[in-house]
Amino acid sequence: MRRNSLACFGRGLALALSKPYLAVSLWLIQLLLTAVLILPISNFLHDLLDYSVAGSRMVANPDFGLWETLQREHPDILGNLPDLAAGLLTTEGVRFSQLADLRGIGAAAVSLAFLAVVLHAFALGGVFGTLREPKASLVTFGREGMRRFPAFLIFTLATLAAVGLAYRWIYLETGEALRDRVQALDTEGKALAVTGVRLAALLLALAAIKLLADSVRATWVARPDLPPVSRFFAGIAAALGRPIRLLGVLVWYTLTTAFLYLVWLWADPSAGGEARFALVPLILTQQVFVFVRLLVKVGYYAGISEALTRVPSPEYSYVAPAPAPESAPPAEPRTDDEGPVQNPA
Amino acid sequence: MVSAKTPRRRPGFFDILLAVPMLTAVAALGQTSPLTPPIASYEISCRLDTDRRTIEGTELLTWTNRTSRPAETLQFHLYLNAFRNQLSTLWKESRGEGRRRGERIPESWGSVEILRMTLQDNTDLLPTLAYIAPDDGNREDRTVAEVRLPRPVASGQTVSVAIDFRSRLPRVSRRTGWKGPFYMVVQWFPKVGVLEEAGWNCHQFHAWSEFFSDFGDYDVSMDLPVRYRGKVGATGKQVEERVSTSGDRVIYRFRQASVHDFAWTADPGYVVVKDHFHEAGLHDVDITLLVQPEHASQAERYLRAARAALSGYGRVLGAYPYDTLTIVDPPWGARQAGGMEYPTLITGGASYSAPRSVHTPEGVTVHEFGHQFFYGLLASNEFEEPYLDEGFNTYMTDRVLAAAYGPNHVNLSIFGLKFPLGIDMHYPVDANRRFFEVSTRDIHAGPSWKYIDSRSYAAMSYSHTALALATLERLLTTPVMDRALRLYADRWRFRHPKIADFIAAVNDAAGKDWTWYFDRTFFSSNEVDYAVEEATSVRAKAPKGLFEKEGKLEEGPPPDLARPRGWTSVVTVTRRGAAALPVEVLLRFEGGKTWRGSWDGEARWTRFTVTGPRLVEAVVDPDEKILLDTDRFNNGRRVEKDPRAAARWTSRSVFWVQNLLDFLTVAW
Repeated sequence: MRRNSLACFGRGLALALSKPYLAVSLWLIQLLLTAVLILPISNFLHDLLDYSVAGSRMVANPDFGLWETLQREHPDILGNLPDLAAGLLTTEGVRFSQLADLRGIGAAAVSLAFLAVVLHAFALGGVFGTLREPKASLVTFGREGMRRFPAFLIFTLATLAAVGLAYRWIYLETGEALRDRVQALDTEGKALAVTGVRLAALLLALAAIKLLADSVRATWVARPDLPPVSRFFAGIAAALGRPIRLLGVLVWYTLTTAFLYLVWLWADPSAGGEARFALVPLILTQQVFVFVRLLVKVGYYAGISEALTRVPSPEYSYVAPAPAPESAPPAEPRTDDEGPVQNPA
Repeated sequence: MVSAKTPRRRPGFFDILLAVPMLTAVAALGQTSPLTPPIASYEISCRLDTDRRTIEGTELLTWTNRTSRPAETLQFHLYLNAFRNQLSTLWKESRGEGRRRGERIPESWGSVEILRMTLQDNTDLLPTLAYIAPDDGNREDRTVAEVRLPRPVASGQTVSVAIDFRSRLPRVSRRTGWKGPFYMVVQWFPKVGVLEEAGWNCHQFHAWSEFFSDFGDYDVSMDLPVRYRGKVGATGKQVEERVSTSGDRVIYRFRQASVHDFAWTADPGYVVVKDHFHEAGLHDVDITLLVQPEHASQAERYLRAARAALSGYGRVLGAYPYDTLTIVDPPWGARQAGGMEYPTLITGGASYSAPRSVHTPEGVTVHEFGHQFFYGLLASNEFEEPYLDEGFNTYMTDRVLAAAYGPNHVNLSIFGLKFPLGIDMHYPVDANRRFFEVSTRDIHAGPSWKYIDSRSYAAMSYSHTALALATLERLLTTPVMDRALRLYADRWRFRHPKIADFIAAVNDAAGKDWTWYFDRTFFSSNEVDYAVEEATSVRAKAPKGLFEKEGKLEEGPPPDLARPRGWTSVVTVTRRGAAALPVEVLLRFEGGKTWRGSWDGEARWTRFTVTGPRLVEAVVDPDEKILLDTDRFNNGRRVEKDPRAAARWTSRSVFWVQNLLDFLTVAW
């Protein structure tokens, strides 16, 4: 029986809901990373606004003047982070060399992003490993994360490099090469279409890279019976064997996440000052939103595992483990990545 | 000197041209009555060759010496030669960059060659022609030429010069040229400079300024391929359209009196939209919009902006006196032709996605129309005092836009599509914030090419001047400012005013001398920044110590001092910038009471001590009159801190950092 991508994603979401501690652990990791910036941001803003008459007008609404003044009078706070963020959305894109102009909180934020990538490698090991355990907990998450960490870090850094190369060669360099030709087009509509094609090509490449990486990770966890090189290629083969289903799961995940953001932007709980949400309820609402989004994220990874699983499983394929019998003793922690397969198909 | 390859044409052109029968009908066609005595008038016939991208033209210049001294030479602008090669002054100053950041001048060359130049008696002036570079001595720059006259032109005397020329147009770069079938033909013909008492004022073509000419009457015929029929726009009024007998060409003729330049455009893709402006007390104007098909849905926005500008500028500066206004919407890839002004013709700029809350194309339309006054009617020298043109116009643009549309909005450009962010950008401060980035780098003391860089030129000429004038308006009050502007406009219409003339108009309108204001703002790079450094309020206490009671010194205050009421509030206001301007200070107390005082701002600081209700906050410049203040966020201070804004923005920042981290990690 072949499951379609929506069913895979749906089962993945159900699995994520059944193991909410996975989303909790991801949320905690993010919160800890972000916590590094809370004091610098908070102290700076309190210093700037607490006694300012203008600050009282800004409880709910942003002020263009403050934003411009802040960047001009305090270039050491963010550096070129705003330009960098805006540049990501332009037809020209941004160059890695622009990172050199980051300062203060801006530089720290980007450094944290690199740290987040490393921790992400750990978290994915934990997520994939825990998803295969019938009975698991945060302890399982930590154990599985550490077990897979070296390999997953290599995958993650390789993926990061591939994404960087794809961005450079598919988006930046094509933009540079096509610049004069785009200017020579008849209409701006056609120029936008060219940008759209460049963007679509980039997104397709990024999706392919991500799905290959996630497929390798899922297979790496599911097939400990194979030697590492075989596991790697089995993961690649698995992705190539089910590209539409995997892409479908990614698309459902993207749509669901986009929907959540649309709801957030539409509801805009941050606006309206004290009238809509006092500070504490606002922070709680924000964190609930982050948590829900992370549940969906775990659901995506579970969905990828589902999409790679054949039911009934043929020999030498992999399958989600059957529930362990009630009387079965709890699984002993493994120390060896090459341990026996618990539920061979 | 002229190239040796230049072919010589037959003499007698002058006589032939005069004999053309159509000229006899000139008086009956179009707007013919000059609004000012002409100094430099032109009759031009030209032919566009779309294969070679050239214009072959014949020109009859009728020039009158209005100075008291005889003229021994004539100087001409040959501005298309700025695109001749990379050694021109324009190319060097711009370093090959286009008008907008990140754009490059395409390597497509342009030039204008004078093939023949004779006086009415057929005296050949061409052998005396020499290229000069009065601004920078660049011997490779060919944008100014001088010819020596066989006999000086006496004061009040008129001379006619017949010129054959060939203009080669570059691909649109820095305002002029072609892009596909689109043509923006500006700065295209040999144009005489301005003779002043001190001599010729004829500057080279620079990166950031190009306009200074005398008024005259223009009569221009253009011969184009027939596919351009109905798709041509130009300075002035169209008085003729006819298809050639062969049927493959179309000839247009436009006339306009009392202008100082002539520009034209053609594009078979134009959608032509007509409108008419009528408002009591102002001159009726026929508006023609030549818009690209992909921007046709924005035609009404263009036209509404034009009507708002005709009304807004006309009410303050006097009616726009011409019968026509043509608005050109350049196509994609020709943006460098957009946002420009020529007599009765302006170029706008629209984008594919144009949210209504973002003032594009409205802003550029209002601004370029405004140049019909500042540059057009008040023909100041853009080279030497660029702010009289761009800055004054930016100030008026902000006023018209604010009145007609309210605040602009911040937009986010996502892969070329614009999306409004719902954040207000107020005129004039937010529209001119680029000045604050360079506020102490430059002053208005030199010609346009002497600013430290293009950023500084733009910030000073446009934004600094606009903010200085807006500040002046708030100090003078709007009616007085309007009186000053009207006085300036009426006195100097069809002339070449200087900044001293505007200052004189301000002084006359205000009834006192405001020269000090210009010294401290226009002609100084000093920064303006006032701040409330301290705002405290403590309950008044009875004084301690020895006091006289019934002739004796006793410890403890007398009864009238023993129970003080209210609070003692202390406010310290400082002048952090070097520039001193008078400011007001507002103290707001509990119970809604306020106290307002003024400070001349000369000292570095001043302190206000008030006893009464408890102080809530103190604000310097509470009515936001001093728009040149580089940091408005230190202008007010509360006694009690209000951490709500900082707390909420911290939570929002942290929330989005969380999301950003997740976004960055999810990809790998």
